[in-house]
Formats: sequence, structure tokens, C-alpha cells
Amino acid sequence: MRSLLKNSSIRQSILYPTIFIVMISLLIVSITTFFSYQQTTTEIVEDSSKEINKQIILNFDNYIESVINTANYIQQKTIEHGLKHDNDALFDIYTQAAEVQPDIESIVLIDITGNEVISSSYKSINTEDLTKKTWYSNAMSDDSIYHFSSPHQQDIFANSTAEVITVTKMVDYYINNTKFRGIIVVDINFSNIITLAGTTNLGEGGHIVILDEYDSLIYSNDEECNSNECITLEIAKDIIFGGKVVEVEGISMYANVNTLADTRWRMATFINIEIINQSRNNNLLILGIIIITTLTITMVASSYTSRRISLPINKLKDHMQEIEQGDFYKKIEIDGQKEVVVLTHSFNSMIEEIRSLMNTIVKEQKEKRKTEFLALQSQINPHFLYNTLDSIVYLSENKMNEKVIEMVIALSKFFRISISRGKNIILLKEEIEHARNYLLIQQIRYNDKFDFVFDIDEDVIDYKVVKLSLQPIIENAIYHGINTEYDSGNIAIRAYKNEKKLILEVEDDGYGIPDEKIEEIYHNIKFESKGKSVGLRNVFQRLKLYYGDEADFVIESELDERTIIRLVIPLERAK
Amino acid sequence: MKKSLIVLLLLVLTMTMSACEDSYDKIPLILYNEIDPYILEFKGHILNEAEGKLEIESYDSQNSQLLQNEIIENVLEKNPRILIINPVDRLGAYSIIDKVKQQDIPIIFINREPLEADMDSWNKLYYIGAPAENSAAIQSEMIIDLFGDPEDLSDLDINGDGIIQLVIFKGEQGHQDAEIRTEVVIKELEDYGYRLEILAIEVCDWQRIIAYNKMNQLLTSLESEIELVISNNDAMAIGAIDAMIENDLFIDINEDGVITPGTDTWIPVVGIDGIEDAFEYIENGYLYGTVINDSKTMSEVLIELAEALINGTNLDDLSFEIIDGKYIWIDYQKYEKEED
Repeated sequence: MRSLLKNSSIRQSILYPTIFIVMISLLIVSITTFFSYQQTTTEIVEDSSKEINKQIILNFDNYIESVINTANYIQQKTIEHGLKHDNDALFDIYTQAAEVQPDIESIVLIDITGNEVISSSYKSINTEDLTKKTWYSNAMSDDSIYHFSSPHQQDIFANSTAEVITVTKMVDYYINNTKFRGIIVVDINFSNIITLAGTTNLGEGGHIVILDEYDSLIYSNDEECNSNECITLEIAKDIIFGGKVVEVEGISMYANVNTLADTRWRMATFINIEIINQSRNNNLLILGIIIITTLTITMVASSYTSRRISLPINKLKDHMQEIEQGDFYKKIEIDGQKEVVVLTHSFNSMIEEIRSLMNTIVKEQKEKRKTEFLALQSQINPHFLYNTLDSIVYLSENKMNEKVIEMVIALSKFFRISISRGKNIILLKEEIEHARNYLLIQQIRYNDKFDFVFDIDEDVIDYKVVKLSLQPIIENAIYHGINTEYDSGNIAIRAYKNEKKLILEVEDDGYGIPDEKIEEIYHNIKFESKGKSVGLRNVFQRLKLYYGDEADFVIESELDERTIIRLVIPLERAK
Repeated sequence: MKKSLIVLLLLVLTMTMSACEDSYDKIPLILYNEIDPYILEFKGHILNEAEGKLEIESYDSQNSQLLQNEIIENVLEKNPRILIINPVDRLGAYSIIDKVKQQDIPIIFINREPLEADMDSWNKLYYIGAPAENSAAIQSEMIIDLFGDPEDLSDLDINGDGIIQLVIFKGEQGHQDAEIRTEVVIKELEDYGYRLEILAIEVCDWQRIIAYNKMNQLLTSLESEIELVISNNDAMAIGAIDAMIENDLFIDINEDGVITPGTDTWIPVVGIDGIEDAFEYIENGYLYGTVINDSKTMSEVLIELAEALINGTNLDDLSFEIIDGKYIWIDYQKYEKEED
């Protein structure tokens, strides 16, 4: 978990643990609730099943007890009346007892040889040897208890079709004060047992099974259970007595087996408890819905919260990245948590501080440049002035007055522009004029040894340029580019616009400069402060000071063909 | 965090498992009904006897086989080493035997004897009881003391007809003790030579109150005829006596707080069991005598047998004899008022 969250965002660090915690607690609560509820339901259903079983057993017990009570009563009366020598009254008692309990088919007392002593019925007794009957041998086997037979067709009378259970017990009776042993035979109509079994609702597929001590089937109200090979009979055998959840043909049943009092029988009830499964399914469904809903709500809520927290921070982060790339002029306004607002505020003041510090630095730099600029500018003139004045003196001595005038006018114009009332930046047309005056003076001085042309685009003459940027380059072309011996000096000055730059070119058709020399010149103008190429360096330095990296200084040359020095400067129009 | 969680889980698991493994040392004593004073007394003797030897946990089945089955089912889950059961319904005992057999737990039955066939179905079943015939035989001895020579009955033959007119209070119908006691006492008396006229055999389910009601009815119809009251147990005898007291049949001539026997209305009553109340009734002359069902000795035997079964000692070395490997018979004792 910790490693998982190590490199995650604020949002993830809020989202994942929240969902994790909610899920874990939800699962724990759900699982415990589910199991405790399920246990309670199971207990309730099992308890109620047990109760139903008890109730049915008690019904049967009561029924059996009533039969036994009747038999006891008969037995008692038999002894009583026998002791009083009043056996004639017994017939009535037998008949009445059989009549009071309608499900009693007959009550017969037979002697040990199987002959009728008293019978509640007028029907004639079976002439077969009754001592061969199972119920007879049962009664003889243990004289202390009542014996209950399996359901069978009534066989104590000759012609009976009734299906009965025969209850027998060995008893004493008296005739003329002599004690005899006999067997009391009570036949109960079996249909009553069926009725008793049918009265309780055991749910779909629920039924009862009655089995005897040899685990043989006595009765079941399940149609499919009518032989000794019946699933529920097998289950009842296994349980012996007690309760257990079993599966019968895919249905959950609570099987409960108990002994029936006063008999050797056991009764099993099978009660449908599918309701437990249903409630489990319902519970699972409800819990599932609760879990999904809660998880969804948690995810949405924690996602919203984490977004609310992380959004302002992310904004701040993005802004910081912008500043990292150099944009110091943006102020951030972030709404959100108090902490983030305070952070933003501090950040803004910090940026403000940085900006003002930067401005100070820029200002200082500017001042410094200006000073340097002026220093460089002032380096240009003196030699030229001396030389020109020497030339004028020479022209005057040779009475070349025309030339003197021309020269003085040009000089005058040259200096006017040079001074320009102290401005450092002038219009290109003024700079061109300045260059022209310079060239005129030099032409006179060099006796027309070179020629020059201006090729100036009309649409660039009103752009601003750094003052005295052409003259040193032209000076360079005259001194180093013109081959006076071959009388081949041609100088071209061009100005034009290329994309967003103003291009100024000075071309001569002199010796040209070898590539190594060009490299040397570049090096000199960029890094040396003294020595060679003073004029070019002066121009280069001033351009850099004023325009920064936007300005460029290019030397192109072809030996014995031409040399072009090109100044590239940003377009800056006069206001 | 995860480790500690696993440790905690393991701890809980081992604790629950060790709880399950706890062996169950208590001996369940499942009685048929604690309302029965004889059973209550029996229980007292058993608990006394077991003290310091075995820990007995007693359950009351409240005379319901259903409840007893439930108790046995629950007790079997604890897997006890031995069971002492006083069955509610002796006919249903076969199912108890089958059930307990599955877990191979020996059973000692007391008070009510399962059918012989059921007792034969397994070799770890024991029955401690008194032979029912024995109690009736001793009861008949007391009656013989009272009535004397069959050819020349004592004055207790009130109508002087040479026949003893008697009523019998019978215990629960189907209870082997009730059947045997009734049958044997009659048989013994007849065999001795008495001529008997049994006026009534009242089935009173061993209960004092039923016997009281039945006796009240009998006295209205048969008062002058009754010469002897035989009861299958003391509780019913006392119930009958209560009815007789109400009908002024007991007379204290010398007014010493003790009934004078032999008055015109005096009818001897004999019981069986020897419960506490019976001794009081005997002291005061109401109850002529009883036969003690020696539950104290039975308790001693029971605890000795239980200990032997638990410890696996040889059953031949015990202080009593085990008949057929199952039955331990404790004889009854006669109890009458001592002659002053």
C-alpha cells in the first residue's frame, strides 16, 4: 500500500485509501451481519421445525395414549367386573368404549388359545387359528407392554375389509374368581393416522415417515415413500432420533426423528426449509446492492473531494511550470482551500519580488550598455576629421575651390548627422545620407579612385537604425577592399526588408577575404576589446548592445570577387 | 500491519480450536422426572456418592421422551465418556441405544429397565435396579405377618369371611415395575394360600394425587369392604392414606399422636420405595410398612461402575456382581414401624 502510494498524486492518495477502508469495513460489516442473520434465521426455522415435529409427535402420542387409556380402561373393567362376577356387563362396556372412540374398529378379548371371550362387535370371529397371527405372537413375547402392529387388513373377524393397526396386550381376567390369561385386541382404523398426519402443513414436499424398531416402514404420507426403499426412510434410519438439515430431491428439509411414546415406533417429520435459502439469497442481494451503492457513493464523493483539494494545487503547479519557462508577468488567482490560497498569495508576492529584482537588473544593464554605447560611438571620429581637414588644406593649396566647397558641405552634413542632437537612433534615410556624405568626402580625398552606388528600397527608409552603423563598414571597405592599383573600386550599399528584419549590406569588389581571415574577424569583433578590426567591432558591439540576439553581423566573401558585410537588425519603425 | 493481523487471526483460531478440543469430563445424569420424589431422592444419593469422585451433570426430562431425546442429542455433541439414563419411555430406549452406540459411549440405565431385546443389542449397556418381583415378595411377607394363617385369618379379616378384600394401587400402565409388583404380590399371597377378593386395581401412574382421588371414590362405594390396601409405591400409598385420614379411618385412641392399629376402621396400607414421607407416615402409624428401594446402595454401585467404565478397570474386580454382563440387582429392604 505504502509503495503503491509512493509516486501517486494527491488525488490517488485520497481516493485509494478511502475506497480501500470503506470496502474493508463494508465487507466486514456485511459478512458479520450476513452470517449472524443467517444463523438466526436458521436457528428460528430449525426451532420452529422442531416445534412442529414435537406438536405432531404429541398429537400422535395423545392419540396413542387415548387408545391405550381405552385399553387400560377395558382391562381394568375386565378385572373389576370379573372380580365382581359380573362379566355380562362387560359386553356393553366393550361396545360403548368402541363407540365412544369412532376410530376404534373393535375391542376383543381372546383367551390364550385364540377363542373369543368378549367382543365389542356382533361380527363373527375369524375361524382361522388366531394364535398364528403376528399380533398374537407379539403379545405373547412380552406381557408388560402394548404391541402395535403394522397396518394390515383386519383379520380378527371373518369378513372385514378395514385397514387397521392392531394393538395387543396380554392381560388377566377373572371368571368365577379364577384368574385367566388372555389377550386384549384393539383394532384401530388406520385412516385416522392418515388424517392426523395430514393436518399439519409441512410445506411443499414435507411429509412424515413412521418406522418401527427394525427400521421398517409403517407409514408415510409421501406417495413416493411406500416401500422400504425410500430416501427419507433411509435418512430417518441414519438419524435414529434428533434433528438435522437434509437435502431431499433438491429441496432443503429439516428432518426430525422422535420416538412415539408407548410404542416401539419412531416418527420422522420432513419440513420444507427452503425459506432459509430464500432468505439467504435475499440477504445476499440486499447486501450486494448496499455494497455497490455505498462504494459508488464513496467513489464519487472521495473523487469529488480529492479533485477539490488537488485542483487548486494542480493549478498552482501548472503556473509554477509556466514561470519556470520564463513567464513572470502572470498573476494567479486560485479559489480553494485556505492553505492553497495562502500559498498562492505567498507565491504571488514572491514572483512580484523576483520581477522587481529582475527589472532593477535590466535597468542597471541598460544604463551600463548606454554608457558603453556612447563610449564606442565617440571612438569613431577624430582620425577622419584630421584626414579630411588635411585634404581640404591640400585642395585649397592647389586652388581647387570647387572641391573644397563640395568637401566642406559634405563634412558639414556628415557632422550634423553624426551629432544628431545627441540621438543614438536615427532614421535609415539619415544614416544613408551620412554614409553618402562620408563617401563623397573619401572620393575627393582618394581622387575618385573608387565609385559607389546606393540601392535602397523606398519602403525601408523610415525604419530606425543605430546611428553610425554603416560608416565604419564603408570605411573598412575603402581601406581594405579597394584595390587602387587596378582602379577597380566599386562599392554598393543596399538596404531592404527580409521577413521581419531590416537588412543593410555593404559590398565591394576588392581582394576578398579568405575564410580563415573571416573566422579571425568574427573572433576579434566578438571577444577582443583592442587591436584589429576596431571599426567592425564597434558596429558589432553596438548592435548587440542595442538589439541583443535579434541582430546579426554576417561577412560573406569570394576571393578577388567581392566581400559583403551584412547587418541584420529588427524592424523598428519611427513613431 | 499485515503481519500483526495474521498473528491475531492465528491466535483467535488456535483459541477456538483448543476450546473445541477440551474434553468433556462431566457425567450426564438424565432423569425421567424430578417431580417424582423417589427420583429426587435417588438423585440426591447419586450426587452425594459422586462427590470428590465424578462430576455429575443432571438433566430433568420432565416426563417427556421428546425432551429426553433432545437432552441426549445435545449431550452427545459434547461427547461424554459415559451416560447415565433413566428412560422416560422404556419402549423407546432402543433408539437411545442405537444413537449412543454410534459414538461408542457406554450407558448405565437406572430405575426403568429397557426391554431385554434392547439390552441384548450391545455389550456396553448396564442396568442397575431392583428386581421388581423381589419388592412384591417382601411386600407380601409383611401382609402375611398381618393376616396370619390362611385357614384362620386374623381380626383384620373384618367381615370374617376368610377372604381378604383388597384394593391395589397400580403404577403406570405398561411400566414393568407396576405390572410385576401387582402380579407378583397377588401371586405370592395366593401361593401362600390366601383367598383374595380384589375389589379394585387402580392405575394411578405412581402419583400421590391420583391415588388420593381414586381412594376417595373407592371409599364412597367400598369403604366397609376394604380390608387391605396394596400400593405399587409409597407416593400412591400416601395419597390413599390422605383420603383415608379425611374419612376418619385412622383413630388415635390413647391420644399420643400415633395411630392405634387394630381399631375397627383401621386398614393396613403397604407401599414400596421408602421415600422420606413414607418413614414419617410409618412413624405415625398411618402406613403399615414399606419396601425400601435401596437407592443409596444403588448410587454407590452406580458411581463405582461409572468410575470403572471411565478408567477401564476390570469389571470382575468390582464389589458387586454383574449378571450377564449387564444387570446389577440391588435387593429391596423391608421397613416397618419398630415395636415399642
